[in-house]
Amino acid sequence: MRRWLLWFLLAPHTFLVFGLWRDVGLPAVDASVLLCVHLAFFAQRGAVPWLLLGAAIGRAIVDEAALPVQILVLGVPVAVLLPLRTFFFGQRWLWQAIAAAACAVAVPRLAGLFGRLFDQPSASSSLDALAVLQAAVLVPPFLWLLRRLPPFAGFEERT
Amino acid sequence: MRHDPPAFPVGLYGMLLFALCWLTLPTVFAPLERWLVGAACVLPRTIASWWGQPAHASAPVAADRALRERAADLEARTRYADVSGARSVFPGSYEPVRCAVRQVVMDQSRRAGGGVPAELRLDRTYAELAGASDLVTKGVALIGYLPTPGNGVAADDQPEDFARVVLLGHRSSPPVGAELELEDGGRLRLVVRGAASIDPAPLRADLWDDPYRAARLDHGGQAVRTMEFAGDRDVPAGLLLGHTRIWGYSGSDNEPPLTIGVFVAPPVDPRALSRVVVWKSVVDAAALPAPRAARHLPAVVRELPGAAHGRYLLAANGRVPDGAAVVQRGRFLGTARGLALGGGLLQSFAASRHAWCVVLLPDEPGARPRELEGTVESRDGDRVLLRVRGDTFSGTQEPLVPGTLFTGSNGPFCPSGLAIGEARPHGEARDLLAVEVPPMTGPIAVEIVVDGGAP
Repeated sequence: MRRWLLWFLLAPHTFLVFGLWRDVGLPAVDASVLLCVHLAFFAQRGAVPWLLLGAAIGRAIVDEAALPVQILVLGVPVAVLLPLRTFFFGQRWLWQAIAAAACAVAVPRLAGLFGRLFDQPSASSSLDALAVLQAAVLVPPFLWLLRRLPPFAGFEERT
Repeated sequence: MRHDPPAFPVGLYGMLLFALCWLTLPTVFAPLERWLVGAACVLPRTIASWWGQPAHASAPVAADRALRERAADLEARTRYADVSGARSVFPGSYEPVRCAVRQVVMDQSRRAGGGVPAELRLDRTYAELAGASDLVTKGVALIGYLPTPGNGVAADDQPEDFARVVLLGHRSSPPVGAELELEDGGRLRLVVRGAASIDPAPLRADLWDDPYRAARLDHGGQAVRTMEFAGDRDVPAGLLLGHTRIWGYSGSDNEPPLTIGVFVAPPVDPRALSRVVVWKSVVDAAALPAPRAARHLPAVVRELPGAAHGRYLLAANGRVPDGAAVVQRGRFLGTARGLALGGGLLQSFAASRHAWCVVLLPDEPGARPRELEGTVESRDGDRVLLRVRGDTFSGTQEPLVPGTLFTGSNGPFCPSGLAIGEARPHGEARDLLAVEVPPMTGPIAVEIVVDGGAP
């Protein structure tokens, strides 16, 4: 119960924390990509739907589109990557970098697609090549750190 | 390696399916979203409140007075432009009643040709407009009809519901007798009816009195106006229906152009309409109650630490409706997303990406205000580039001119007439406006429009 409370209290603010990180001039890390890779590769499978809800609430705070659109934008990459977890488990850093780059392309594309479909466009739908590169380089070390901190540590799938 | 069944995330698929249901029935799940996002915003709102209180101006400054004068000028000029064109066409016993567009019905199944909407909802009820002519105009243009509640397309409507306008491109709209003015002074008579949704324009030209000459029309842009017609509907002559658009093959040096179909594009895009005119008898119009005045809720806008894309926190002592206009001393800042626990989020106009209904009031005295639909293309500090379309009263998109940009009707809580900023045409583009928007730094005392009406 405590870990769920911590998740819904802290995880939505991941977007704001990484926004502050960017605002002070450090290389930007897309919290959407970070959460997608965490949910796809490291979170307990049974908990993923509700963890996704917490992440989507955080994205709904900083993005123009509504909460269900955020669930789809974050949930579709996770749904694609999650069944691949079994195969990609051994070479974590490489797969994490590839998955982060893929998510950095997929998330804005999906935001644009769902924005058009459901008439909820948002500024986050623009794709930036630099952001893809930064995601590939920075997401794995940040994930390594976050997985050792609450609330992420509480939902780590044990191997 | 752990083989942890099940390999496929059934629960996750269930959540995605739930999100699709949520989008299908947004009103059912709206309270859930208000509470979930509202609860998550409590912590940032508490932290943001430590960063000072908004400063209040002791007296109206000159800029505020100038803005009020521009808003009054806008009201006077739009009133004239809305009414003057059709005034001579209707009998003197009729009085124009200007109605704000409360909603443009964007339902895909009710789209007209060209993908444009085919229905509007006004801010007046059927009961208030009872006895009015069923013709709805905009300037000199006929744009649609008022249906009778309980019949046809309005079968589910009650007299106390906001009145629906069925635009000419709607498939249930009756055909109109019209005539087309040719460059050589000649005229062609035809019937104009709603086009199919896959057609390139909302109206199709049909049943020509001279099909041979009609087939030789090789370019569009000719004005099509109503003519007196012994049909089942009494439409006065001289109202503009739109301008022709030719569908076919353009010719080459050896081959003449081949005209396959002639369509009619209405002079104003329904998505750009802020107000339309209904014609009522003088006695009935005098008895009409005044439109409800807008009700404002005081609130404070604070910066949301770490947020990009023009997102701000709103703190208010009351329920904030979704899509409500947030106004700072007459200037439009953006729209609100209402949340539980006395708050909301503000999406600034400059950073939003959805389509806006706007009105450009030209600096040139007496020039006609332009009702447009615009989407923010890019933002550079306090200057945004807005791509606009919608006003083709002369047959083509008229060149943009310098002026002041105001909101058009953007839903029940975002009325027309709120100043956005000074606008200038951008470069050589005919459809780009550069708009100066007010800077938003620090806590700002604002008002939220919680009940539509005149601003």
